[in-house]
Amino acid sequence: MNDPASFIMGMKLLAAGLAMLGTIGAGLGVGLAAMGGVQAMGRNPDAAPIIQTNMILGMAFAEAVAIYALVVAIILVFVAG
Amino acid sequence: MSEEKPKKRFRIKKRWICIGLLVLGAYCAWFGPSIYKPVSPVVVLPPEETGLSVFGFPITNTMLGTLLADIILLLIAYFGVYRFATSGKLVPSGITNAFEAIIEYLWDTVEGAAGKWGRKIFPIPATIFLLVFMANMVKLVPGFESVGYLKQVHKGEGYAPVKLFNIGSLEIFSIDKGQPHEVKAATEEEVSAGSESNSHESTEVCTACEIVPYLRGSATDLNFTIALGFLAVLFTQIYGVWAGGIGYFSKFFAIKELISGGIFGAINFAVGILELILEVMKIVSFGFRLFGNVFGGAILLSVIGALVAVGVPPLLYIFELFFGVIQAYVFFLLSTIFISMATVSHH
Repeated sequence: MNDPASFIMGMKLLAAGLAMLGTIGAGLGVGLAAMGGVQAMGRNPDAAPIIQTNMILGMAFAEAVAIYALVVAIILVFVAG
Repeated sequence: MSEEKPKKRFRIKKRWICIGLLVLGAYCAWFGPSIYKPVSPVVVLPPEETGLSVFGFPITNTMLGTLLADIILLLIAYFGVYRFATSGKLVPSGITNAFEAIIEYLWDTVEGAAGKWGRKIFPIPATIFLLVFMANMVKLVPGFESVGYLKQVHKGEGYAPVKLFNIGSLEIFSIDKGQPHEVKAATEEEVSAGSESNSHESTEVCTACEIVPYLRGSATDLNFTIALGFLAVLFTQIYGVWAGGIGYFSKFFAIKELISGGIFGAINFAVGILELILEVMKIVSFGFRLFGNVFGGAILLSVIGALVAVGVPPLLYIFELFFGVIQAYVFFLLSTIFISMATVSHH
């Protein structure tokens, strides 16, 4: 507490790290999408191209959440304060 | 056999070129003089001004990037597609073929989502797709985010400039990793090695420099992505009114139900207001998804490029290529779905 500047810097880094907790959900989502996609492809290999496209699309949506967290973290570290 | 031989020899020659470039890269990154070494990146969220201006309106480097993507797209549209369409030939080739494949794929998606409205909807999302796609591809060309003018660092760390050579009266500088200059608190760093400086600036060269690039990927600017998202949502409303008349807005302001419906009418009214908020959130979601992906990718590339200069960045470039296409497609697909949902009246 003697050095406010480095205290604020530390809190900023801590906040950025905490913001990245949001990626847990995205990781789960991507994993679930991959699971569903692979299972579906295993059952019905003929439909693999369509399933793959939709799977990647779903992954991109799930990953967007992680990207929001990343943007928040980047802003916290490099821009805020 | 006689035709295959020179081809094979050329392939071997290519392999030697690749290995030579790799060795050169390793030499520059680790063993060579410090001027070749990659500098750690500076992360700047807002787009930087390039010093140009049109009617007093400053032109930023992301605008130049977007302009470049636009020009390339127009050139392809003219030389690749318009020339072919007017030439009367029936079999497309080369870039015409590629564009036909892209447009056909997009058209199938739009028609699948919107049915008979597909024909009217198609231009809007497809234009967005082509622009975002081209902007994401152009961004990966070397020279983006690395060639620019030198600027004095006000806080943080900069590097000393080293004069390389002259082109006419234009002096070309590079910054030297071996001569870091720290300015007060170390919070900001540096972009990349190659740099240009105009002759009128060179009379007074900075001591601790950072590079302000002339070109930067357009989707690394929130203005670009939010504007595209705003346009997508605006066109959603326009197509909604086109399809359902002024009654489209009863989706947001359920006044008729509020007057006649009692308690459930009030709930419906509240849901309508929520829907209005959702519409605004769509803009934010559109904007931040594209921005975050591209900006995160750009930071990843420059940070990894500074840490491990050899071997890994090409793989990341492939990754970025893939993500550029995916994000453009996601933007396209979402706007298609939103617009086609608006054309279907909800009553």
